[in-house]
Amino acid sequence: MKMSFISRKTAHGLFLPKIYFPLVLLLFLLVLPILPRNPFYEDLIIMIFFWGTLAASWNLVGGFAGQISLGHTAFFGIGAYTSTLLWLKFGLSPWLGMFAGAGLAVLVAVAIGYPCFRLKSHFFALATIAFAEVVRLVASYWRGLTQGGVGLLISFKPGIENFIFRGKIPYAYIALGLMLLIILVSYSIRNSRFGFYLISLREDQDAAESLGVKTSRCKLIALMISVLFTAIGGTFYAQYLLFIDPDSVFSLSFSIELPLLAIIGGLGTVIGPIVGAFILTPLDVLLRGWLGGISAGLNFIVYGTVLVVAVIYFPRGIVGWLSTWYEPFLRRLPGANLAVALEGTVSPAFSSDTSEPKDSDPGDEETKSPLFKAQSLTKHFGGLAAVKDVSFQIKKGEILGLIGPNGAGKTTIFNLITGFLSPDSGRIEFKGEEITGLKPPHKVCMKYIGRTFQLVKPFNNMTALENVMVGAFSRVKKAKEAREEATKMLDFIGLLGHRDSLASSLTLADRKRLELGKALSTRPELLLLDEVVAGLNPREIEEIIRIIKAISNQGITLFIIEHVMKAIMTLSHRIIVLHHGEKIAESSPTEISRDRRVIDAYLGEEYLA
Amino acid sequence: MLATVIQLIINGLLLGGIYALISIGLTLIFGVLEIINFAHGEFLMLGMYASYWLFQLFGVDPYLSLLMVIPTFFLVGLAVQRIIIQPIINAPPLNQIFATVGLSLVLQNVALFFWKADYRTVRTAYSTLCLKTGGLMISLPRLVAFVLAIAMISALLMFLKRTYTGKAIRALAQEKRAAMLMGINVYRMYQIAFGIGIACVGAAGAILIPIYYAFPTVGALFVLIAFVVVILGGYNSLVGALIGGLIIGLVEAFSGFFLSPHLKEAVYFVIFILILLFRPTGLFGRG
Repeated sequence: MKMSFISRKTAHGLFLPKIYFPLVLLLFLLVLPILPRNPFYEDLIIMIFFWGTLAASWNLVGGFAGQISLGHTAFFGIGAYTSTLLWLKFGLSPWLGMFAGAGLAVLVAVAIGYPCFRLKSHFFALATIAFAEVVRLVASYWRGLTQGGVGLLISFKPGIENFIFRGKIPYAYIALGLMLLIILVSYSIRNSRFGFYLISLREDQDAAESLGVKTSRCKLIALMISVLFTAIGGTFYAQYLLFIDPDSVFSLSFSIELPLLAIIGGLGTVIGPIVGAFILTPLDVLLRGWLGGISAGLNFIVYGTVLVVAVIYFPRGIVGWLSTWYEPFLRRLPGANLAVALEGTVSPAFSSDTSEPKDSDPGDEETKSPLFKAQSLTKHFGGLAAVKDVSFQIKKGEILGLIGPNGAGKTTIFNLITGFLSPDSGRIEFKGEEITGLKPPHKVCMKYIGRTFQLVKPFNNMTALENVMVGAFSRVKKAKEAREEATKMLDFIGLLGHRDSLASSLTLADRKRLELGKALSTRPELLLLDEVVAGLNPREIEEIIRIIKAISNQGITLFIIEHVMKAIMTLSHRIIVLHHGEKIAESSPTEISRDRRVIDAYLGEEYLA
Repeated sequence: MLATVIQLIINGLLLGGIYALISIGLTLIFGVLEIINFAHGEFLMLGMYASYWLFQLFGVDPYLSLLMVIPTFFLVGLAVQRIIIQPIINAPPLNQIFATVGLSLVLQNVALFFWKADYRTVRTAYSTLCLKTGGLMISLPRLVAFVLAIAMISALLMFLKRTYTGKAIRALAQEKRAAMLMGINVYRMYQIAFGIGIACVGAAGAILIPIYYAFPTVGALFVLIAFVVVILGGYNSLVGALIGGLIIGLVEAFSGFFLSPHLKEAVYFVIFILILLFRPTGLFGRG
């Protein structure tokens, strides 16, 4: 009787701790504003929701995408000033003015973000400070519009349509609504393709690009969402306090407070910024109460100290620390054994027979037109010709090797093909289509050309599975499908056992496999491998060679740079040799090993013996 | 008109000398440690207060106070480097940025706590003295500040060119790995570079106090100018910082006169953003 009830899908979920515990928290939040009948606590609760919302919105661009903005106060102020001015000058309801302000702030964000995202982290932070400073100056000195330092006063006319309320409780629920919305938005982003893209570009922008991530566009969208909420927060602030001036809404300390909350709570996590607000906002109020009487500024001394200590010693924040306790805690709640029973029935998402080759056709059909053609590729760095007039072709299903001494221009050729560099002259064709100078790299990935990097570029703070999922997302939209594909891929490259390990914890050999798995999951037809066995021991090399052969058996064309002769000679059908940026030989492995020029330039006399 | 222009050039250059001294410390720290010291302005503020209190309590002339401020700030720099910068030297940029941002928050509010938000300055016998020649006016303390700033910058450049420590620091700024292989004690050089950077900005504070007010947030004002100068001069070129400082001084003098003193800040922030976007290596930086 009871069992049949539980087996119904919607109902049994409620008994799982991981479902009902968050629901209990949500219920707690919903009653929080009406629990205290005291203006002081009501104000505190509003401030917690308010700061939580803003910190979480900063976290989208600063935490997820890793773009450190110290200029968010500008967007906050633009939101506050726009809705207030529209209300004061034209009587436009702040509910509408809120969206006008958000729209304007987003436009400004695009205008400033688009060029500034090219800057490296420290300089991006600097540019955003400077930008916010310019906006503050404009607000202070454009007196005709903003009344400058005098500020704007909104007269107290309660009414729903005026966004002005007699008591504090309506404000509390509006702030709570905003906070729940940003949590929902953050959660959806974190578990979607877009979220994976943001975190991957934060971890390694080049690697993300090579897997088809439109990094510039992703950063910009993250900034736009973040700014939207920040500006709405500005309107809320204006309507709650009914007074704004440049010093309060355009201040550097506001810009610092948002990341502070996010960092203390747990940067780049969904609820970290909220947790930060729940801990630091009451602390701030208490400190102001206890210490503020003695002197202003003391609370900021505590804040600053906490920030410094946190980034040096606890960069993962409270949530990072709690997360190790959260799962065990859930397991001790009633209903946890139910979860175990249910999860046991879930069929495994992968089967072990995935390494079977697809219909493959490795035979060299010379009648076919080549899959890939490079003609007279040339690239100069300053006066140095890194690649000089290099031409070659790759046939479908072939494994082409590329060897040559260090500095011969091998990796440069890979970079020219994959959009990390543009050739000075020459022509590149893939599947009969010209792709010369196609940029940025994600476009090349989408043409079904994949690559790995000589110095492996794992997304360190993502698990092995998540690393591969980033690649899989280039071909599928849904996280579920990407997870399935990535699981199969991990099985194929022999990393299934490390599925949930962070990439940073893997050995070099495993990181090289992961590199292969990431590139392969973009389903390339041509895969460029840059020294995938360098630095490995003989047994590990054997393993990788086996995987590469399996890749080739699936019909994927391979172009391989390698210094380990055993690997390149056994794998390649043909080899080209580069020396000082020029192609000095091209033929089968056996002939290459006898070629005089190649021996002189690269292999050395011992190789003959 | 010509006299006005010459007067503006003089004003601009005199101001620019101090900007250069503030900025050169920031450049040195960034060039060697690859960290932007967001608390740089707060050390300027502390330098101003140090000189102010030496004058108020012990009657030490602000220029004489340099003899105490420079070594003290050097030691403070060593300590800050050891305690805060060293642990995050290889950390992700976010940790680096917020370590010094947090420090700036602390220092600013420590000043507010102890010395309140009052504007304080030093009134010396020479505070209002002016040299007048041919219709031109040159404020004496500004001239002295300029000469001292240029002298200190020259001394620093000489030190970096001539001494072993100086050469080691420059080597480190160019190529860290190679410098390590040559047996340079990287951690020690990091400390010394940071110490020198802080000593420079502390000294700038001391020579600024006879002509400007000290208050807890004064650093924020100047550090933004310093950021502009550093970007303009090329963030790893000390000579660039010197010339950048002079240029920004001129820009400030001219835009203050021809536009509005209120807009001079807007002008150099626009320059800042334009330089970052179109010539991120600055006017004198190497690529």
